[in-house]
Amino acid sequence: MSNNRVSRRQFLNYTLTGVGGFMAAGMLTPMIRFAIDPVLQHKGAGDFLPTSQKVAELTDTPVKVSFSFEQVDAWYKSEVSAMAWVYKEGDKVIALSPVCKHLGCTVGWEGSPSHKNEFFCACHAGRYTKDGGNIEGTPPQGPLDQYEVEEKDGLLYLGPIIPNTLVKK
Amino acid sequence: MQFHAKDVSDVLANKTFIDTVIVPVISIDFSETTMIQSSSAADYITNLTNFIEHQFRGRILLLPPMTYASGIDQTAQLAQMQEKIIAAGFKHVFFMTSEHEIHKLNEQFAVIWLPAIPLESMDNNMKQKILEDQLAKVIPLFTDKWANQN
Repeated sequence: MSNNRVSRRQFLNYTLTGVGGFMAAGMLTPMIRFAIDPVLQHKGAGDFLPTSQKVAELTDTPVKVSFSFEQVDAWYKSEVSAMAWVYKEGDKVIALSPVCKHLGCTVGWEGSPSHKNEFFCACHAGRYTKDGGNIEGTPPQGPLDQYEVEEKDGLLYLGPIIPNTLVKK
Repeated sequence: MQFHAKDVSDVLANKTFIDTVIVPVISIDFSETTMIQSSSAADYITNLTNFIEHQFRGRILLLPPMTYASGIDQTAQLAQMQEKIIAAGFKHVFFMTSEHEIHKLNEQFAVIWLPAIPLESMDNNMKQKILEDQLAKVIPLFTDKWANQN
């Protein structure tokens, strides 16, 4: 037998400390998890959506990039298609929303033969410069919105819509 | 704009800009041999008119479809509808359909007739592509009409 025998008092001390430790941990773990939960949460809205556009193939001429996402309207789920006008300014990728700031029509790049190098809205002849700025004297009252952009594996991802950051007033 | 409360209040607030109404016209056929075709055509016109509305929502009010039992003459109904729309202050009325019997009325009304394309067998990308192609055909019809008035 070994010399350092554990006394009854010591044995009880060890056991109680051990059991108490487990109980404390059992209570504290969920509390800590609750406390830091907001940090770990996924952001549902504002996720970046994949498109089939390769970033390397973009030029300084805006191209139509379509993408789709699922929209839930009460019990009705539907696949919604949307698009953006995307081009490169130097190395920076710029994606503009095609929704006219007048009454919400879809604008086209060089949509009118008489206005080269501009976005054109066929509804009421609204015009925008390439960076989305509205041209004075046409119906739109503000610049086109922008998408946040991201590149993943060479493909373009589009994020939330933000107000135009290119046009200086 | 769609014919629901939110959009219609926008229409009323911007009456000078929204001067065009699209009325889809759909016939409903219950005979066993053609019921499927009839439903497919109805689906196509609904999809296409919604797509056009999305592109031109700042100038067009899209009404819910006028439906009728196939074979019944619609001249009077179309005339009444057109009269009411014009009386409300809209300048252009287009009837969109894939029915031949409505197409025959195109001397009297602005009828846009498009052959029905069965969309149900297509995947989403294909559908989108077809609708874009059809839209490209229809755009000049609208823009010509709009250009002529100015």
